[in-house]
Amino acid sequence: MQFRLFFRKEMLEMGRSYKWLWVPLVFLMLGVMQPIVTRFMPEILKSAGNMPKGMTISIEPPSGAEVLAQTLGQYSSVGLLILVLSFMTIISGERQSGVSQMIFSKPVSYGSYTAAKWASMLSLITVSFALGYAGAWYYTVQMIGSVDAGAAVKAGLFYLLWLWFAGSLTLFMSSLINPAAGIAFVSLGAALLLSMASGWLPRYTAWSPGSLPQISAEWLQSSGEAKGAAGAAVLCLVCMAILFTGTIYQVKLKKSKI
Amino acid sequence: MMDTMNTSIPWGLIAPLIVLQLILAVVGLISLYKAEATRGPKWLWVIIILCGNILGSVAYFIIGRKDAS
Repeated sequence: MQFRLFFRKEMLEMGRSYKWLWVPLVFLMLGVMQPIVTRFMPEILKSAGNMPKGMTISIEPPSGAEVLAQTLGQYSSVGLLILVLSFMTIISGERQSGVSQMIFSKPVSYGSYTAAKWASMLSLITVSFALGYAGAWYYTVQMIGSVDAGAAVKAGLFYLLWLWFAGSLTLFMSSLINPAAGIAFVSLGAALLLSMASGWLPRYTAWSPGSLPQISAEWLQSSGEAKGAAGAAVLCLVCMAILFTGTIYQVKLKKSKI
Repeated sequence: MMDTMNTSIPWGLIAPLIVLQLILAVVGLISLYKAEATRGPKWLWVIIILCGNILGSVAYFIIGRKDAS
């Protein structure tokens, strides 16, 4: 099977470049940090701010669900940035270094080549996010307060779908253009625009993949049904399939262009 | 004020974060030691990894590493 061969090669390469170590580690730290910072915010403010004597700050202690939603917010900014930056050269890098020319000089299926890259990327995203989210959940329960387990799991799954979408977008951009900075800029910009648009125009973007982060945050905080969740999930999967097909086509088209 | 702060800090929960940060820095330094070439001088990356805690190591892995392919 060509796919398994390519998949093994991708996994090996991601191990050699230490991606399997540092990406999950950074995600875990991102997740754990938010509950800790929130818990000590009053102390931090007290020791850092030079406030006049007698002034008291009263901060409502946030609920566990709120802190977990804030952690997802961290993943939307820093986490997304790290994912896009670490995957931006996944296809364009091999094209520029001539590796893909070597690979495609043999009768190799473009589909399995692309699918292996896609699958290895999604597995790293899944492991990293699951680890970080579990860490954030544990620390939130320990330091802030309990979180509804059903809502947390559902929110996590929908958020993972959003990260998968962002990954597929980066993969497609990497097959489309060569400059790494351009790939990162366009992928991040598109992801940010999509998620911001769902905040500005909720009526027109109810099913947009960009509304997935918001849906998971709503689920955590109100534990009610978020509107259009199933539609957003299905449309996100459809978009991922389209991006994947586009990536195969681009890999075929630009197999030897530098 | 320091006394009340010290007693309220659950070190058992914060220590893992410090350990994780150390692991990340050590992995970064090992990778840097093994790398044949980096973008920018190696001694600079050592300083960045050691002083820039999480961001320093992440910056090394993303920018500093040259993929050996």
